[in-house]
Order: sequence, then structure tokens, then C-alpha cells
Amino acid sequence: MKDLLSFIVEDGLNRGASFCEVRYFEERSNSISVENGVARALSAGILRGVGVRVIVNGRWGFASTNIPTKQDIKKALEDAISGAKSITAHTGEEARIVEVKPSSDSIIHDVKINPEDVSPEEKVKRVLELERYARNFSDRVKDTFIIYRDVVTKVIVCNSFGTLIEEVTPRTRVYCRVIAKEGANMQESFESIGNVAGYELIEDIKAEDFSLKTAKRAVSLLSAHPPLRGTHTVVVDPKVGGLFVHEAIGHNSEGDLVFSGHSIISDKMGHKIGSDLVTIIDDPTKNHYGHFIYDHEGTKAKPHLLIKNGVLVGFLHSLESAAKLGGEPEGSARAQSHHYPPIVRMSNTYLAPGDMTLEEILEDIDYGVYLSGSQYGYVESQKGQFTCKVEEGWLIEKGKLTEHLRDVAISGLTLEALKNVTAVGKDLRIEMPGMCGKSNQSMYVDAGAPHFRIENIVVGGRR
Amino acid sequence: MMEKIDLVTPVEKAIRMLSKFDVDFYDVSASYIRSLRISIMGRGINEASSRTDIGIGVRAFKNKGMGIAYSQSLEEADIEATVKRAVSFARVSQPDPYFRGIPGPSKAPEVPGLCDKEIVSLTLDDAIRIPKDMIDSAESVRRDGMYHGGFNANYGRACLMTSTGVSVEIEKTVASAYIQPVYRRGDDVGSSYEFDYGISLAEIDPWKIGKKAAEKAIEQFGSKKIESGSLPIILSPESASSLFSSLLLALSGEPAVKGRTFASRLLGKSIGPEILEIMDDGTIPGAVASSTYDGEGVPKRPLKVVDRGVVLTFLHNYYSAGIMNVESTGHAIRGGYRGNVGAGPSNIRVSPGDSAIDEMISETKRGILVIGASFMPNMVSGEISTTIDEGFLIENGEKKHPVKNLMIGGHILNLLENIELISKEGRTFGKGHFFPSIKIREAKLSGK
Repeated sequence: MKDLLSFIVEDGLNRGASFCEVRYFEERSNSISVENGVARALSAGILRGVGVRVIVNGRWGFASTNIPTKQDIKKALEDAISGAKSITAHTGEEARIVEVKPSSDSIIHDVKINPEDVSPEEKVKRVLELERYARNFSDRVKDTFIIYRDVVTKVIVCNSFGTLIEEVTPRTRVYCRVIAKEGANMQESFESIGNVAGYELIEDIKAEDFSLKTAKRAVSLLSAHPPLRGTHTVVVDPKVGGLFVHEAIGHNSEGDLVFSGHSIISDKMGHKIGSDLVTIIDDPTKNHYGHFIYDHEGTKAKPHLLIKNGVLVGFLHSLESAAKLGGEPEGSARAQSHHYPPIVRMSNTYLAPGDMTLEEILEDIDYGVYLSGSQYGYVESQKGQFTCKVEEGWLIEKGKLTEHLRDVAISGLTLEALKNVTAVGKDLRIEMPGMCGKSNQSMYVDAGAPHFRIENIVVGGRR
Repeated sequence: MMEKIDLVTPVEKAIRMLSKFDVDFYDVSASYIRSLRISIMGRGINEASSRTDIGIGVRAFKNKGMGIAYSQSLEEADIEATVKRAVSFARVSQPDPYFRGIPGPSKAPEVPGLCDKEIVSLTLDDAIRIPKDMIDSAESVRRDGMYHGGFNANYGRACLMTSTGVSVEIEKTVASAYIQPVYRRGDDVGSSYEFDYGISLAEIDPWKIGKKAAEKAIEQFGSKKIESGSLPIILSPESASSLFSSLLLALSGEPAVKGRTFASRLLGKSIGPEILEIMDDGTIPGAVASSTYDGEGVPKRPLKVVDRGVVLTFLHNYYSAGIMNVESTGHAIRGGYRGNVGAGPSNIRVSPGDSAIDEMISETKRGILVIGASFMPNMVSGEISTTIDEGFLIENGEKKHPVKNLMIGGHILNLLENIELISKEGRTFGKGHFFPSIKIREAKLSGK
């Protein structure tokens, strides 16, 4: 396959491309769906194909095929070139990239237990065992679901700089959902554990940290109350903190959104945009769900310091955004599959720890809201307005957690919220394995934070 | 853009292979999608791309357990491996007590107008005029914009065959276009977006989209925070669409009949004013969510879901209908060749009321006009806590200024119950969906 990709790159240059990148993608996955004690579906899938990206006459063209034969990849190359030519005559955003030294490497991430070596029967048995803890927790548990998934992704990147990188990445993840019911009141809770890892991740899970925890939370939410709406001081746990960091600043740091005028911080490099306590890092080298060694442009990944003590010091870059913004590409361009071009993505994004305990963060809050567990979020990066949906919360009264809250969401403005971070804990945890959506592409990411405090955040609710 | 990829032969091959295994039921689906896309980013058009996606998916059932396998290769050896994997997984999976098989064949009159010849033969050279016109139109309003957006055209064919005798082939096109301009005035940002989509290219009016997006974006300059309170809200057709789509999704399929959504207990119940009527109709000629058959090969049919404010029915696939011992309503949705079959609405049509949108605004002393917000609730509890992405404060009957950092909280059923007015005008999406504007008596707002 590597020879074929190199041949196509050469062919692309011969046909007039100033840059040509050919990327093979293969993803083999297995999943098990358990519902209320029944493993009702097992599934397996294979995705594979080739994406070809070129710059011709200073414009991007891209094409992909599921059929990785010489004939079909050559056809994709022709389509990519004719695509670039089709927009040549029309003014728009020029395709420009930094020249980088070629890389050549082959990476296979080690696992202790290859999921392929574990029989489907054994996997089913283990997932049912985890699910049982949730189901048996209470008669108020109405429904329990666990989805297990193992996936191995192989990416080969070959480009006209001479880069030829192969990386094989196994990921394993389990997701638990519990619905609890009491009369007409129904509540649900979620938990997810995943990493760049093999089946050992599943063997090592303790039910009390996963399925049992999910069930306990779902049942306890039955007696929680909606929050008091308004603007409050909030303290966020590592999951809500991770979601905040991802939505409030992470997307705004993505170089493609910056150069295309869709980031609220596009003109803020070197400016103080957060309090002294805010240091934010995106680090693909850390062994979490968003981990990789090379990005999908073949650039070796490095940790990216985005904000240092409140000052914006870096953006995340692709070859293109580095050229347009004057940065170094440090491995932030990834694509969902061969059907998509690489775009700038976060990896494992987190707020660096401070030196406080949770008790110290809470102690001088007279009235506020403690937020725990993240569901999902989104940001309108061009406006810097973000929303985070939260699993549960507690009222903070005179430094103590009191009333249990549910159906909580927060909304904030990036440039205000970062300045309003007034206390940061020392208990950093990165444990939000999930998928991030951007430009119709979904990508493996993780996020985290220590506990921290933000003043003046809008908390939604119906009380 | 069209290639003649044969889907029937590989599906038949898989069916023949499956017939030799000891399984109870099976189905095989294959699809081919050719997509063209021209992306807009930054100063204008930035990339032209094309994509060919092919795949085959197999579902096998043994003792009420299901095995699913899919592959992006139609090569014989890969089909065989896919079939074997689905069968072996079916044997390991456990009996689903609610499973009662898969549907048999039915004949239905073909829904016309679902494949636009212009899209079938479209090239990137032809397509370029649409994003170009969107940008030119936006620039005719204001010239210093930065943009995101694009134009997509898809041509797809799919084939489904089952052990129960279903044999269905479909062919469909869809085109969509959107643009999001961003303007800056110091630290102030004016941004919005506009879009359209449909079965045919003729339905996409790039000049209208570009102009409207630019005008909406400019209107967003000078947004302000407002205080928390309880105020009436007026939902544009775009934001009303997420409220009604969420309701119909919560009335759909397995989650609805197994008591897992806020709407599970609504059959026969009044959820809104008498003027509230909602139809779901997947048989509208030329409409974006229409098809002759659903994802299981059951004929689509029009279905009145809400009449005089009362919920009449769930939207069923064969599985959920079986649980309630009723017929499928033809709302199975198959997620391409990857095998999963769920249920959901097709073309949603909320009947127009008798109010005018201008009157809704002019008769509001103080309230919020919501242009963009997701009213997708927590599907289990029905609670909504959402940010108004784009909206205006109304004071003394006039749009005063855009709002920011403002949230709406409440239960979706409270919002529906409090529908006070439904407009007579609205917006049709993709020749199928129709949503009017609605005025909700009161909603809880969280602000400064």
C-alpha cells in the first residue's frame, strides 16, 4: 500500500500539483450492546479507503474512494486535481502551507491484551457483569445500557514533502447509561471510560467507578431540584472543567477557525485574556483518548501551550494554519476518515493544576453552584459564546454543598469567563473520553481540569 | 457525477450466502453515495471535493439475538467475511424478548420526484456558481465579511433485501447550501447564518441565502445581556422546528414505547392548544424526507400525530409496533449500510394558525424573539436548559436589540402547553417540513 500511495503522490506532482497528500485509512471495530441484562446485539465493521488532497494553482482539491486499488486512487487523484482547477478562477481563500522536513516512521501502539484475542462470549460475559451492578442497585433503576466498543485505526500518510508515516492506534471504550424512575419522574445518568488501550482497560474497570456509580447518580437525581436561574459563582469538577476548557477556549484556539475569522481570539495573540490562574494545554502526547504520535498530515505531535498565566501564547495548527498565522505545525490536523480532509482538532485539552483543595475553593463562597459531570457542549466560536450541559449540581451555601440540583446548564462568554477564574485546584483529572464534532467530522478527544471556580456564570434553570 | 455501481448483485450474493446458514431472519442493505462539495472558508471558496462511499451491511437474527456486520468493500471475499461475522455474532447475542421478526414485502405507489437529473449529472465546474452566488450576494450587502459555509450535492442509491422477501431499490438526490458571515466592528461581532436544502438544485436560491445571511449577521451587532425574568417568547420557524422535531423524535420507536422518553406517557393526552396540529408525511412528492418505503421496506404513509392538541399515535418501526401489537407506521430509519435500524419522523408539518408574525411582535410589550436556539430537551425528563444563540429583546412591540448570554429553562411540555399563537405564515424546508412561528406565553430566562 505504501508503494501505491508514493506512486500516486508522484503522479500528482507530475500532473501539476504543487502539493499532494495521499492518506490510507482503515478502521476495524467491534461492539456489544447490553440492555437490561441482555446482550441483544453484537456488531462489527470495517471502514477503509484512500483520501487524496492536492494544491493546484494555489487552491485545494480533495477526493476519496472506498476502493483502494491503483485505478480508483488514480481516479480520486484526477477528481481532486479537477476539483482544485474548478475553483481556480474564483477568488476565495488561497491554499498555502508551510514546508516541513519529511518524516518517516511506523508506530504501533502497544496493548496488554489485544481485543481480537478475546472471544465475543468472554466480552459479553464481562459487559453483563458490569451492567448487573447498575441493574441491581435499586428498584428505582428502570433501564440499564452498556455499549462496549474496541476499534483499531490504521492511518498511512504519504505526501510530496517525502513524508511517509504509518500509525496503528487501538482504542477501547465502554459507555454506561442508566434511567431511574419514581412515579412520573424519570432521570438518567451516564459514565464513559476509554483510552488508547486494549482489552485490559475493560478488565481493570471497577463497577463502583463505572456502572454502579452511574446507577447511584441516576437514582439520586430523582430527588434533586432544578437550579435557581441567574448569574452565579460556580465551582466546576474536572469533567465540567474539561468541557468548559474544550468549548470556551479550545475551539477558539483552532488555527483554521482563527485564520478564517471565526475565532473570538483571532486578534488576541500575546494579550491577557484570562486570569493569572489560567494555563491551558492541549497535549496529544499524553496517554488519554485523544492520544496520537503523528497527526494526519504526518506531523509529529507535541504538547501545545495555548494560554500561560492568562496570556494567549499559542494556537493549534495544521500545515495551512501555521503558514497563514506564522506558527509551527505541531501535529493538530486530523480527519475522521479517508472521506474527509484533515482539519485542526484538539486532542487532550486541560487546565493546568493550581494549589488549592476543593474545600479551600468552596470556603469563601457565600452562595453559588457546584457543577459535576458533563453531558455535552457547543460554542459559537466567532462570538465566543459557549454552552455546557451538566449532569448534576449542588447549591453552595456558606462554603458547603447543600441542595442537590439537576437539569443544569451554563452559558458564558469566553473573554469574560477566562478572566473570572478566581481559584484553581490541584486535583487535575483528564477523564472525558469522547468524540468532538466539527465541520461534519467526528474525532477522538479527551479533556480535563482540576476543580476550579468561575465568577458570574449564567446558570440556566426553571426556578 | 453518476457512476453505475451495481448494488443488486452483491446484495443477492450476500442473501444467497445467508440462506445457507442456520439463522432465523436476515437482511442485507447496500448503498452508493456520490457527493460533491465546495467549501467556503475565510475570504471565500477554499476547497472543492468529491467523495464516493459504498458499503454493504448485514443483519442476522438467531433465537431473537442480533448480529450486525458491515464493510466498505463489495468484493466477494469481503462480503463472505461480513456475512460470516454477522452470523457468528447473532449466535453469541442473547434473546431480545421483544423481537418478533422483520417485516415482509408490501407494495406501494412510488413517491415521485425524489431524484433530480440535474444533480445526477452535476460536476464541480457546474456547482461552483452556487457558493459563488451566495458570497456575491452576501457581499452585495456588506463587503468585509469572513465566511464559513458550503454547497453539497449528493446522489445516492440503496438496495435492501430480506429473508422475508422484501426487495427494494431507491434512488435519491439532495442538495444543501449554507453560509455564515462574520463581521467585526472593534470587539463587536455581527454573525448569523442562512441555509436551504432540497431534492433538486432548482430549490436552492443562493442569492436569497447569501443576502439573508448577511442582513441577519449585521442585525446581530450591539448584542446586550438582559436580566433574568419570565417573559413571552416568539419562536421563528427555524427555532420552532427544533421544538416540534424533538417532540416527534420522543414519540418515535423503541424509546417511546419502552417508556424511556418524556413523551412515552402522552398517547391520548392533550399537550397544547386546540389549534396545534402536527402531521408526519413521508409521501410528499419531491420532498426531502420522502421515500416510497421506510428503512425496513414498509410503505410510508401520512400520519396525523397531534390533532386539536392531543397526541394520537407513536411513530413506529416494525420492532416498536410489535411491542404495542400494532402495525408499523413506516417510520423505520436505517443508518445506511451500517445496519442499525431506528425510528423517527419524516416530513413534519405543523399546521399554520391564524396569527401574523408581525402582530405577534407588535402585540408583545416585553419579550424575546428567538431566531436560533436548540429546543432539544433531555429526552428522558423533558427538561430544557438552552442558550438563545440568536435572538432579540422585544419592547413595546418592537425589536429593541439582539441579546447575548441568555438562557431559556423549562419543561418542553410546559412550553407546548403555553403556546398562545401560531402564525399563518411559516417556512417550508425541502418541500416537505413546514413550521410556523409560535408565541409561547411565558418562559423562564436566565441572564445577568
